[in-house]
Amino acid sequence: MSSETAVPTAVGHATVNRPNMTSVGTIVWLSSELMFFAGLFAMYFTIRAAAPGLWAEDAPLLDGQFAAINTGILVSSSVTCQLGVFAAERFQPHRLGGHLNVARWGMVEWYVVTFVMGSMFIAGQVWEYATLVSEGITISSTAYGSVFYLATGFHGLHVTGGLIAFCVIIARAFAARRFGHHEATAAIVTSYYWHFVDVVWVGLFFVIYIIR
Amino acid sequence: MSIETKLFFSGVFVFFPVGLIYGLWSRWEAVGTTGLFLTGGLAAMVGGYLWLTARRIDPRPEDDPQAHISEAAGDQGFFSPWSWWPLPLALSAFVIFFGVAVAWWVTYIGAAMAAVSLVGFAFEHYRGRFAH
Repeated sequence: MSSETAVPTAVGHATVNRPNMTSVGTIVWLSSELMFFAGLFAMYFTIRAAAPGLWAEDAPLLDGQFAAINTGILVSSSVTCQLGVFAAERFQPHRLGGHLNVARWGMVEWYVVTFVMGSMFIAGQVWEYATLVSEGITISSTAYGSVFYLATGFHGLHVTGGLIAFCVIIARAFAARRFGHHEATAAIVTSYYWHFVDVVWVGLFFVIYIIR
Repeated sequence: MSIETKLFFSGVFVFFPVGLIYGLWSRWEAVGTTGLFLTGGLAAMVGGYLWLTARRIDPRPEDDPQAHISEAAGDQGFFSPWSWWPLPLALSAFVIFFGVAVAWWVTYIGAAMAAVSLVGFAFEHYRGRFAH
């Protein structure tokens, strides 16, 4: 068994182009993640229907403008992430031009920008939490606080997980002697996850900050 | 891939109409309506992805009743020949959640274990015998 190689070898006859198992598996897993967040939405709406008074009292304390800017940062990070995917699909891990020659950036440059934007989102959320706690809304203060921190907190944990994934993908691009299908696949499925987490946030933003 | 696409995407034609009927009937009760529409989204996500993939790949021998076994030969995907890393990774996940249930300081030990296991797992094929 130890004589097996991890690098796929070329075979002598024509093979069919198959669906990538990692990508299909990621999508199936993400659809189960969708139902996880469906549970959080259900929790939010159930308690909102049961105790509308809490919403009238606590929801106006939310800073919608700040959250909108934060949402904008996260949505833009999906764009930079996708540009990194295009580079990974060209098997281009690093930039071919100068630092500011954006058109010739590789996957690593785009993923670093995505990472920075994702970190800004998390930093913004920490700031928002700190402000709300100082105004008296904590996870144990009211049912509103509980559902707010659980819904946005689980999303924040997902974003943090995505940031760790970006670190791994970037480090792999440096570790690989040849940037091939193995690296590109990992980069692409990480982008699936990132886009998914982004879409979930748009839903949460709409429900928590717009509808209130 | 058309069978898989139909199988998963058919949920869209069930859950979206049912969500709509439920919403109208219950005067847009938020919990169930959201749940049903998101279940439709679950079906659309898997079905839509399989549909897009099916358009990109060659016709598979699995979908051809006249195909021969030999036609399915070739690369199936990337599989690690063997790996110990899932074991410490699972163990760290256990320690993290055990810590949440018992005492928080246990979680921090679990997080440190997870950091080591995750890096070991993710970079297994970049060092030693498997370096590429």
